[in-house]
Amino acid sequence: MNPKPPRIPDKLLTWLVAPHLREEVLGDRHERFFRQVQRLGEAKARQRYWRDMLTYVRPVFMKRQETDYPNPTHTAMLRNYLKITVRTLVRNKLYTVLNVAGLTFGITCFLLIGLYLFDEFTFDQQHSKVNRIYRLVEHKKTKSEEFDVAAASYTLAEEARRQIAEIENTARMNRAGRADLINPETQAKFQETVAFADQSLMEIFDFEVIDGDSKTALKEPNSIIIVEELAQRLFKTSKVAGRTLHFSFTDTPLKVTAVLKNHPRNSSFDFNSVISLSNQQGRDRADWDSNEFMVFALLKEHASAETVAKKITALLYANFKPEVGTSLAFSLQPLADMHLYSENIIDAARNSNVEAMGQGTLLYVNVFAVVAIFVLLIACINYMNLATARASNRAKEIGVRKANGAFRSQLVKQFLVESLLVSLFSFLLAVILVNLLLPAFNEFTGKQLSLNLQTDYRIWLSTLLILLVTGFVSGSYPALLLSNFKPVVLLKSLKIQSKSNLSLRKGLVVFQFTVSVVIMIATMVLFLQIRYTSNKDLGFKKDLLVVVDINSAKARTEADAMQMELAKLADVKNVSVTSRVPGEWKQIPLVKMKPQGSAEDHKISYLIGADENFAKTFEVRILQGRNFTSPADSSSILLNETAAKALHISQASGQLVEIPSRSFGGDFTPLNESNHPFRARVIGIVKDFHFQSLREKISPMVLAYQNNPVHQIDYYTARIEGGNIPATLKRMEAAMAKIDPTHTFEYHFLDEQFARFYLEDQRRQTLLIWVALSTIFIACLGLFGLATYAAEQRIKEIGVRKVLGASVLNLTTLLSKDFLKLVLIANGIAFPVAWWATSEWLGEFAYHINVEWWIFVAAGALAIAIALLTISYQAIRAALVNPVKSLRSE
Amino acid sequence: MRRSDLGEFEEVVLLTVAVMVPKAYSVIIAEELERETGQPVSTGAVHAALQRLEQKGYVTSVLGEATAERGGRRKRLFTVTALGGRVLTDVRSVRNRLWERIVPPTMLEWS
Repeated sequence: MNPKPPRIPDKLLTWLVAPHLREEVLGDRHERFFRQVQRLGEAKARQRYWRDMLTYVRPVFMKRQETDYPNPTHTAMLRNYLKITVRTLVRNKLYTVLNVAGLTFGITCFLLIGLYLFDEFTFDQQHSKVNRIYRLVEHKKTKSEEFDVAAASYTLAEEARRQIAEIENTARMNRAGRADLINPETQAKFQETVAFADQSLMEIFDFEVIDGDSKTALKEPNSIIIVEELAQRLFKTSKVAGRTLHFSFTDTPLKVTAVLKNHPRNSSFDFNSVISLSNQQGRDRADWDSNEFMVFALLKEHASAETVAKKITALLYANFKPEVGTSLAFSLQPLADMHLYSENIIDAARNSNVEAMGQGTLLYVNVFAVVAIFVLLIACINYMNLATARASNRAKEIGVRKANGAFRSQLVKQFLVESLLVSLFSFLLAVILVNLLLPAFNEFTGKQLSLNLQTDYRIWLSTLLILLVTGFVSGSYPALLLSNFKPVVLLKSLKIQSKSNLSLRKGLVVFQFTVSVVIMIATMVLFLQIRYTSNKDLGFKKDLLVVVDINSAKARTEADAMQMELAKLADVKNVSVTSRVPGEWKQIPLVKMKPQGSAEDHKISYLIGADENFAKTFEVRILQGRNFTSPADSSSILLNETAAKALHISQASGQLVEIPSRSFGGDFTPLNESNHPFRARVIGIVKDFHFQSLREKISPMVLAYQNNPVHQIDYYTARIEGGNIPATLKRMEAAMAKIDPTHTFEYHFLDEQFARFYLEDQRRQTLLIWVALSTIFIACLGLFGLATYAAEQRIKEIGVRKVLGASVLNLTTLLSKDFLKLVLIANGIAFPVAWWATSEWLGEFAYHINVEWWIFVAAGALAIAIALLTISYQAIRAALVNPVKSLRSE
Repeated sequence: MRRSDLGEFEEVVLLTVAVMVPKAYSVIIAEELERETGQPVSTGAVHAALQRLEQKGYVTSVLGEATAERGGRRKRLFTVTALGGRVLTDVRSVRNRLWERIVPPTMLEWS
């Protein structure tokens, strides 16, 4: 038996070489092969065969001979599909526009929300070692409470790196508080949140340095890193490495060692200055259990976070014995989870006057993901509906194709090509639309999103996927349905009668409207709740209250003089000094308290230090008892109703209350070293007022006098005239400068601070309104298309009815009825769903509106009205047609 | 004389066709060249050269008989045209003239 030449190169050659040369080329190859087998042996010949194959890879062989006749390959069919698609699309301009508009809208919504979500999910992932970076979270359980705090001690971080083999590095960061940073040359001064950290911070994370050296930036004591934006403000340039800064806490100037690029928007880090921790070298090494530092650990490759966390806990226990009944455990939170999964974790900086690091809310991220998918689905359904509804118009085409021998798979392919083309077109339009909308969207979400060639490849990959999915999903149903008809039936009656297909179409319409109505109701409830939160009587008047931070020691010690200066101003009505204010953006301290001599457990209450002007300035009503009167009241307290109830006090008559410990989030610690409780006398009860967001129930609140031992004063609050606010603020600044010229004037309007509690809700509301509008719009496009089609189909029937005396109203009702029924059913499904969803959401608020029946009626009526408007246009037009026209040709 | 449009490999192939006529086709030519030069020559290269030569009008071709070892496929047989022959003669005479002008001492240096 003769050896056979290898088959694969033959196949390749057959495919490669032009048909008219195939015979001689393959003949040559084989003949040569047999000759070589005889001369060189089979193995050699095979080898040569492969190598020689490559010599045919040249244009001379590959170029196909031109012929006068088309060669019927599958590309020809594809070309035909495209041609027919374009023709159908162009011929039915209305449906094309409806389809493209619907899909474009759907894809645009999806892309915008998708970009937003992508940003949320990729928080903090710009660091190259992100998969190995973890944040230490301490779980502390005492007899009375249990909490998680993202913090650990200096020593623990240090020793963990040294003793645990899996840990490559640890970084400590302490956002200590706010301080003035001053440019010594120009005296430009800014009060900033300052953080302390060690050099490992720069080693673990990849903060981009634009000036200076990141490798040594935090090594030396008295060095500081600042970000570009702060450098610009202080020095008007970002090339400032090597220059010095004055820092209000210490006398030694700080040397700027590096300038960082501004943090990207999707970074949890928001510090703008970091001072070297080497300044605090002489720390108490025996302190193992404090939690002052946010600690990040960089693990070695393939190290298990759980094992390391256990080792850290063991390390702590080896060096520290907690009190009986208290247990401690550490866990490691991956850096990538920090943004979305930190809801119940207390920030390490809770004790200092800084705001907690921003974070996202997983629930809303999920809700929006679902909404995005629904919007896209509605758009796809539109396409399906219109395509199947108009199937009978194409019955002849399908019949002829089938009669000519088209396989079902070919027809499926044809319709898929069509839908892919439409979705591709819509997709391109959507990309343009997204780019037009992005500036506004960015402003509103506070992000920096973009969709262009620089965008992350994963976004493009997924958008491409969406394009394909949209095309397939919207095309699959019509494709499968249309290709399934029997050609004889098609060609004989030229009508497609299928009950099941009709009911499915109806089902889809119902689905669309259900989603629209649910979103509409959700939007209305959200809107009403936000209005409720901003109008609700908080128990004090929040308008025209200016809160000024106490930013220097002198402003604190000479509070009386300062207060007098401010009160002298004509447009300042009242001034009060307090440690915290209602609507506080920092931590309000908690205290434990119980009536003296009581055997009950301690009650937990918030505490604010205030003065005699507090009630007047904030317009809080004193229900009974008296107000503070003089500094002699330093051990008097006022309670709010809730606190009074908790302590079983109904009449304020100087009852003694013991306050032994306080907490700034997390642990309760004794007020002083001697563990001597603060004994206070209850002199009055004030009406409950909201000092937190309306999500929280009013908690017990103790108002202590300004010089109380728990918390020192921190703010001046002035009630001002609203005539000329900027001028008033100027005068206040000047008045305060009289007492302390170095004091930085920093102010907040209390009503704005309250509004910030609901800022995210406001954003969600706006987003939901837009989504609701889009879904309704898309659903209406679909309905419009279906109504148009129905009117077209029944044109003869309408003509006959008209001849027999039906009025326009009769006919309009006839045509609208079917669709209205669907919208009504949709309402029926949507109401319970919406009721459930909105009740869940409102449950988050301790104080909320009730979901009332009229909201449902309004949303339902709106949906019906919109649907009716959409349908009736077509219905009336059909009813107005002269029957002569529609009946003439048969 | 359009000397430039006849490459060296083409010239050799053309000569081989002239030698092998009337049984000149790519496999035979490739083997002949392999034997003469001692270098492996692929049928692909030869075939490509033949196609170029045919385009230029130096050879013509007809499809010959099929054989079993070709898997029943026919071969393409090439013959040199009058134009091809003239070009070969021209090339040869140019070479000859140049050869004759090389002085013996130069030749001695080479050997």
